[in-house]
Amino acid sequence: MKKTTLLAALLMLLAAFGTFSCQKDSSTEQPTPDSSPDRKALLTQWADSLVKPGYQRFNGKLATLKAKSAAFTAAPAPATLLEARQAWQAAYVEWQKVELYEFGPAEEVSLRNHFNIYPADVAGINRNITTGSYNFDLATAIPQQGFPTLDYLLNGVAADDAAIVQQYAASANHRRYLTDVVAKMDQTFATVYGQWTGSYRDTFINNAGTDASSSLSRVINAYSLYFERFLRAGKVGIPAGTMSGTPRPDKIEAFYQKGALPLQLATTAHATVQQFFNGRTGRPSLKSYLDALDAKDSRTGQRLTSIINTQLDASYQQLSSLGPDLHTTITARNADAVASYNEMQKAVRLVKVDMTSALSVTVTYVDNDGD
Amino acid sequence: MGAAHQRYFQAYTAAAPLATFRVAFGLLVLASVGRFWAKGWIEELYLKPKFFFPYYGLEWIKPLGPYTYGLFVVCGLAALLVALGWWYRTAALALFASFTYIELMDKSTYLNHYYFVSLAAFLLVLLPAGRYFSVDAHRAPTHGRNQVPRWTVDALRLLVAIVYCYAGLAKLNSDWLLQAMPLRIWLPAKNDLWLVGPLFNYPWVAYAFSWFGAFYDLTVPFFLLYRPTRPWAYAAVVVFHVLTAVLFPIGMFPYVMIVAALIFFPAEAHERFVARLRGWWQSGPAPSPARPLLYAPRTRQLLLLTLGVFFVVQLLLPFRYLLYPRELFWTEEGYRFSWRVMLMEKMGQVEFKVVDGQTGRARRVNNYEHLSVLQEKMMSTQPDMMVQFARYLRAYYAHRGVHAPKVYADAYVSLNGRLGKSFIDPTVDLAQASDDLQPKPWILPFDDEISGF
Repeated sequence: MKKTTLLAALLMLLAAFGTFSCQKDSSTEQPTPDSSPDRKALLTQWADSLVKPGYQRFNGKLATLKAKSAAFTAAPAPATLLEARQAWQAAYVEWQKVELYEFGPAEEVSLRNHFNIYPADVAGINRNITTGSYNFDLATAIPQQGFPTLDYLLNGVAADDAAIVQQYAASANHRRYLTDVVAKMDQTFATVYGQWTGSYRDTFINNAGTDASSSLSRVINAYSLYFERFLRAGKVGIPAGTMSGTPRPDKIEAFYQKGALPLQLATTAHATVQQFFNGRTGRPSLKSYLDALDAKDSRTGQRLTSIINTQLDASYQQLSSLGPDLHTTITARNADAVASYNEMQKAVRLVKVDMTSALSVTVTYVDNDGD
Repeated sequence: MGAAHQRYFQAYTAAAPLATFRVAFGLLVLASVGRFWAKGWIEELYLKPKFFFPYYGLEWIKPLGPYTYGLFVVCGLAALLVALGWWYRTAALALFASFTYIELMDKSTYLNHYYFVSLAAFLLVLLPAGRYFSVDAHRAPTHGRNQVPRWTVDALRLLVAIVYCYAGLAKLNSDWLLQAMPLRIWLPAKNDLWLVGPLFNYPWVAYAFSWFGAFYDLTVPFFLLYRPTRPWAYAAVVVFHVLTAVLFPIGMFPYVMIVAALIFFPAEAHERFVARLRGWWQSGPAPSPARPLLYAPRTRQLLLLTLGVFFVVQLLLPFRYLLYPRELFWTEEGYRFSWRVMLMEKMGQVEFKVVDGQTGRARRVNNYEHLSVLQEKMMSTQPDMMVQFARYLRAYYAHRGVHAPKVYADAYVSLNGRLGKSFIDPTVDLAQASDDLQPKPWILPFDDEISGF
């Protein structure tokens, strides 16, 4: 008898509490089928509207780069050099819009390692050119390929355009290295893109849990890692000297090209990070998912997504102010560069800590009962 | 000592509950060790990292390099011998020592159920669980006993009851009961679960789970003790723990508790179970006359005294957080070894800056170059680990030619849905901060209040 009474009491307590909390909540926002957090819809949106179209556009730019660099090596001349350089520049900017997708097929082949690890290892590159023997899959060869290497090959091998053209006209090894670097990029990217247009898309959207092996967990880890290490530290922090204490302008992206491009690459990457967060209005995105979770700062009641967007705006603005020439700014206005790093750091924390916590994705496979 | 007291301590009961507990516990620990090994965690957690986080006063307990595998072999073997009741006392001692050593090698792997296993193994060293249904009793029948003092069985029950009650008390706080935190964050992440998943999108479900969880933890030992409610209570134990196993990555904990709660069943149930097991390899049950275990008065006194001290410590230790002035969840001063299970959604990021004491040149540390993912994750919310890492960094950079390195932490932590905030005073040289049990004044204020236990 006692048991039944207690159970009944408990059930009534729960029912009462449930009703109470429902009523309290309905005044603000009650989850409806439309706004309930739907991971599969989110993953489908990412696959079909962000990753695949992004890769498709990049694939186009890469094809142009391949054609123009082939034209240049076939007939080295100031005009073909300029065209190859323009194609490289366009592909490099487009790359910034897909570099953050380092999960699944891209992670498997370490796409970023083959495409954008800088500064380029000039001594190694020159050695490769001279000896004519190299293997781009070796760990030591990482900074001897990809966009940073093309930067050196198209902008830095000689003092001016005439001399560069001269160099390629004179040296078959130079022509061959340039061709091989582009071919390796083309080949590596083709496997990644092929998997996304093939079966990986379904694998990706069907792995809709939140454990450490789920698509969401991998995307979020890749996203925050990219923002923290490759955008915040790589593009601004390390050159500005926040890591080492000494400004190192030679460590910027597109160092041999200089001018407006390095900052353009950084701002493009930053805009991509924010666009990935917000998605398109009315379509599933991190923002809509977090809003469906009703993620708020429980101290102030402010929406997490608006806090994140405010900070991303501030961070983007600070980054944009580092123009027109990032290389000059790093030394001439170092404090501004450091300030940009700090603004990005604030955004990184919101993404890496507050957002990841609200999403409740697991980052390690190890048991955990503490938090 | 009153007469009732006297009678209680003179009372005898069947030895079967101790035996089934011993068997189930030994096999479970063996399975845990096997699972740990199979998942590659020995290498990942104890061989790969360059630095480990020891416990205060136990800095000498460290992974043993490749010999760490040997330690796990010893532990698994001891668990098997305990299950079999073969060289029981030695095996129990080896199990307690090896398991506890493993548990204490690195703070970042702290789990409440490891602590529970250590404590239960400690009790098994003291209790006469190897006298019945064991290889020892089979090989030396004169050694066997089928009746033991009642308090030996009750000691295990008390330990399990303490785990539940303290876990329940810890849930009586405003975040858990009034905000349904952290379940409100965790449940929607499982909304694709078959059948019940969609319910997890509703906040009231998180409230229901929170309240039921607290009620369950606080009361289940009593329902298990009371005969009429026992089957229901045990069914609740199974359902509750299976649910937590499905929902959260808490490893073996649910199974440990499902097995441990069996100790509440009466002796007859355990005897029937043992008889069925015996039936598998013996033709008929072997009814034997009552052979009670009689302790020498000195042994008995010593045992009771040890158990008494053990349980007083168990009852007091979780309350040590009261000695610290600030919010327990924020500072985690006195958090471990207190049955605070799945109470917080806490996440952080910490970046260390090492400054040359002479030149003032600063550099930032890439934590991942020194720590495993798990270590970095654990350290990012736990101040005592930050001090330990800061000291390691000082030595590391001093060795690399930095003069009198100062180590500063820039940490950011979010707790139970509150927006993250700065966690550590960034002007304090953590390498100089004391690494002890004193309150840590350099933890920045929480700026909020969580009331309750």
